[in-house]
Amino acid sequence: MKISLAKYGGQTAGMLLGRAPRVLEADTLPPPAAQELARLVETAKATAAATGVGLGRARDMMSYTITVEDSGHQTVLKQSDTNMSPAFRNLLGWLERHMK
Amino acid sequence: MTRTCRCLNCIIPPHLLRRLLESESREVRQAAMNTLLNSARLRGQRSLRATFGIGLSAAPTDGRRSIFDCENRARIAGAVLVQTEQGEASRDTSVTRAFEGLGTTRQFYREVLNRNSIDDRGMRLDGYVHFDTSYNNAFWDGQQMVFGDGDGVVFTDFTSSLDVIAHELAHGVTEHVAGLEYHLQSGALNESMSDVFGSLVKHWSLGQTADQADWLIGAEVFTPGVDADALRSMKAPGTAYDNDTFGKDPQPDRMSKFVQLPDTEEGDWGGVHINSGIPNKAFHLTATGIGGYAWEAPGLIWYEALRASGPTTEFQEFADRTYLMAEDLYGAGSIEQQAVQDAWRQVGIRISRTAARRRPGQRRKGDLLVGEEAGYDGGALAALSRQMETLSAQVHALSKEVSALKGDRTPSEAGGPRGRPANAKLGRLANS
Repeated sequence: MKISLAKYGGQTAGMLLGRAPRVLEADTLPPPAAQELARLVETAKATAAATGVGLGRARDMMSYTITVEDSGHQTVLKQSDTNMSPAFRNLLGWLERHMK
Repeated sequence: MTRTCRCLNCIIPPHLLRRLLESESREVRQAAMNTLLNSARLRGQRSLRATFGIGLSAAPTDGRRSIFDCENRARIAGAVLVQTEQGEASRDTSVTRAFEGLGTTRQFYREVLNRNSIDDRGMRLDGYVHFDTSYNNAFWDGQQMVFGDGDGVVFTDFTSSLDVIAHELAHGVTEHVAGLEYHLQSGALNESMSDVFGSLVKHWSLGQTADQADWLIGAEVFTPGVDADALRSMKAPGTAYDNDTFGKDPQPDRMSKFVQLPDTEEGDWGGVHINSGIPNKAFHLTATGIGGYAWEAPGLIWYEALRASGPTTEFQEFADRTYLMAEDLYGAGSIEQQAVQDAWRQVGIRISRTAARRRPGQRRKGDLLVGEEAGYDGGALAALSRQMETLSAQVHALSKEVSALKGDRTPSEAGGPRGRPANAKLGRLANS
């Protein structure tokens, strides 16, 4: 499983513009970490339904795209600071910690 | 935007009220005079209270501040209330900076633009600090301001920068005043308004003229050693940073360099944080062209042009509005109007023929202002208005002298300016 994370917008929008997504290969992780990541991904996928990124009245919010590639399938999850599901937040937080 | 005399009670700055004293309408003149008298009375009361310590323990009734601690969780629900107008001062520097920053910004709108908080009706100012972990951003969520701590590697706490705090609050003002849509040119104007008024709050708090100011947005949000001047430069868009970590600042400084980006989150909604460099530069050029304090004539022209704007206003329309507003406020062919026209020309926007051909004093549909050529008998009223201003200035000067005699004392309001020298001191302390 390969996961990529891209961030957009916010006060640092100019610095993020055109920046390549950060990528993590689950195969390179220790088994416990890989299992935890797989669980977080499945939960985020299952709850991704109606959210997504919208303009609304928020300004300078950041938005996030997490792309999961697994066994030839690709899933794209998009959410923002102001409409983030707990499952997406948990996955994002995990990725931020492990992609440093 | 249609305005009516109902607005006279609350949202018209003093300079416009003085113009209204010259209206041909007796009703408008009377309303303006009543408002000026009330404003002078309230200013006098505030000044005397502050000077002689009357009601120092009482918090202001409008725009009350509350700071919440997100405790490094990525949600504001469940955040802990840690500082209010009445409670004890927090020992958390992020809390203190947010509280003071909101106070300074509130004071700026009140004293400079005669605006009562975000909605001009005393809307509460709620700030949330310690949002998420390693969060490199600050945002306005439509109701309140949210600040991250930064990752501690490249970015530090986003409350470190007063102009960033004021930038977020200005998003609320823009939403209430013009509702500029947050994409493409209207979105870039929206961002520019936040940079303009965020910057003006900083100038005002430090007592800096246009020539003295650095015109940088977010100069304080980087950790020491990071090779970047700021998030953005209004004076020289495109030069705030250029390094391996961030790349080169992509902001354009003129229309020929306008950056076409997709109207998606990946494209920053058409580059709202990118193309804002163009109107930012126009404001900087206007301010330095006029000279003096940027929050005076340039700030008033921009604020009034914003008030005359709508959700889909783009650069050209806004430029025309600033030109017309400069004429309404300072006269056709005035230094101010020439500076506005020249500034926009330098960034590649020519004032449209329709705007440029308006005869002095010619009325525009929806404008509250009326022409100078109109017959009126407002000379006595105008003279009285000037006397009131003089008296008000004398009271202010007397208050400052008394304050000086009393020496430094604890301010009544943790974040609000108590005169510019004091503000400058506070600003330095906050950033140290």
